[in-house]
Amino acid sequence: MSPQFVDFDADGKLDIVAGTFDGSPHLARGDGVGWNQPEQILDATGKRIVLNAFWNFDTKKWDSSTDGNVEGEKGEEGHFTSAVAFDWDGDGDLDLLLGDHRSGHIYRRDNEGTASKPAFGRKNLPVLASGKPIDVRGTVATLRLFDWNRDGLADLLVSGMGDAYQNDEGGGIYLFVNTGTKTDTRFAAPIEFVAPSKKGTVGEPTRPDSGLYADAGDIDGDGDFDLIVGGYSHWTPTPPKLTDEQKARVAELTKVIDEADNKLDALNDEMNKLVNAVPEAERAKKFTEIYASKKDVRAAIMKERTPALEEREKIAPGPKRISYVWLYENKSAPAKSN
Amino acid sequence: MRTTSSLLLLGAALAAQAPPPSPTFGEPVRLKAGDKFLGENRWFPSPVFQDMNGDGRADVVVGDLAGHLTIALREASDGPPAYAAETKQMALDGKLLDFHNW
Repeated sequence: MSPQFVDFDADGKLDIVAGTFDGSPHLARGDGVGWNQPEQILDATGKRIVLNAFWNFDTKKWDSSTDGNVEGEKGEEGHFTSAVAFDWDGDGDLDLLLGDHRSGHIYRRDNEGTASKPAFGRKNLPVLASGKPIDVRGTVATLRLFDWNRDGLADLLVSGMGDAYQNDEGGGIYLFVNTGTKTDTRFAAPIEFVAPSKKGTVGEPTRPDSGLYADAGDIDGDGDFDLIVGGYSHWTPTPPKLTDEQKARVAELTKVIDEADNKLDALNDEMNKLVNAVPEAERAKKFTEIYASKKDVRAAIMKERTPALEEREKIAPGPKRISYVWLYENKSAPAKSN
Repeated sequence: MRTTSSLLLLGAALAAQAPPPSPTFGEPVRLKAGDKFLGENRWFPSPVFQDMNGDGRADVVVGDLAGHLTIALREASDGPPAYAAETKQMALDGKLLDFHNW
């Protein structure tokens, strides 16, 4: 979820727009003093704005729709998790740009209403760069709009998710310069601001590697745009020199952890078989029942596993994945106004 | 002379179309808020600059996958940027502002 502070409904008060993991854009309306609880931003017909995948709050499970696909678009797997409001066509009201965190694509929902009474269209229109659909490497984590080159037009900063859990390539940060006009937005091919991470750092965390969420601002007052970036750092602490006794102890603890992991895998397989044996409509309820019935078994396994893991971590720390917020200070000369 | 003028005009046109160069950023540095690292152990932290208290300094608001926001107010300083400890963003109903995810 990546908040954007913007006057969404032209009432003079700052609101908050954000895409969330439920698959839709949301709005927290401001009253000048604070913000109301968020609501989903709906289209002109009152339907949720989604790409394909969305969390269905009525059935309490993941659902999918192709209603927003434009003609010829066959995609069924996209998932909106980022959103920004932006006057795409210079008509005085805010349209929506939405990012797909399962691909590198970005879409647009046009506001067919007014600034104070938005009415969003029903179709997800692909956003192009240099004439081709934007396809950000490592999928889209967040979108930001700001005038990078100070030409009076909003440029688009996109930061990528990358592989947020394992060892594959991480996310990068890209700028799409707006080379159009106020009434005809056109983005150029991307400029790479931060290369995707290869991970594999040993010692200390050195950068955000995955799940990159960036914003731009002049943090040091020197007239240029710096970046502030949230994300997960993946690194491995420098391996300590272990005594023979410590090595033997690590081996013992690893055996305990591996045995516990095997028991957990077997337990999960058993639970999945029981769940999948019932009709789909009954599976959520069945899972809850089975999970509750196996709670003590799971607790017993964790009682063996957790202390062993904690002790091994103290002797020989393993790979880390921890989130931080980072500053990338801009060392270039400030951009000149056009 | 006419050929030289044409070449100059062509060069100017090409320069106007050329993309701006990639900026040079310094090595990334972890920010702190109070005595803790900003965004540490948050679920996919997403920071944004916003002046939350109207003092003319851009503060940092951090969202996360859980749907909550925290604020780290920018402190007055002549040196590197310094931020106060994060506080939670509440809604007008007195509860935590909650972009309910699923």
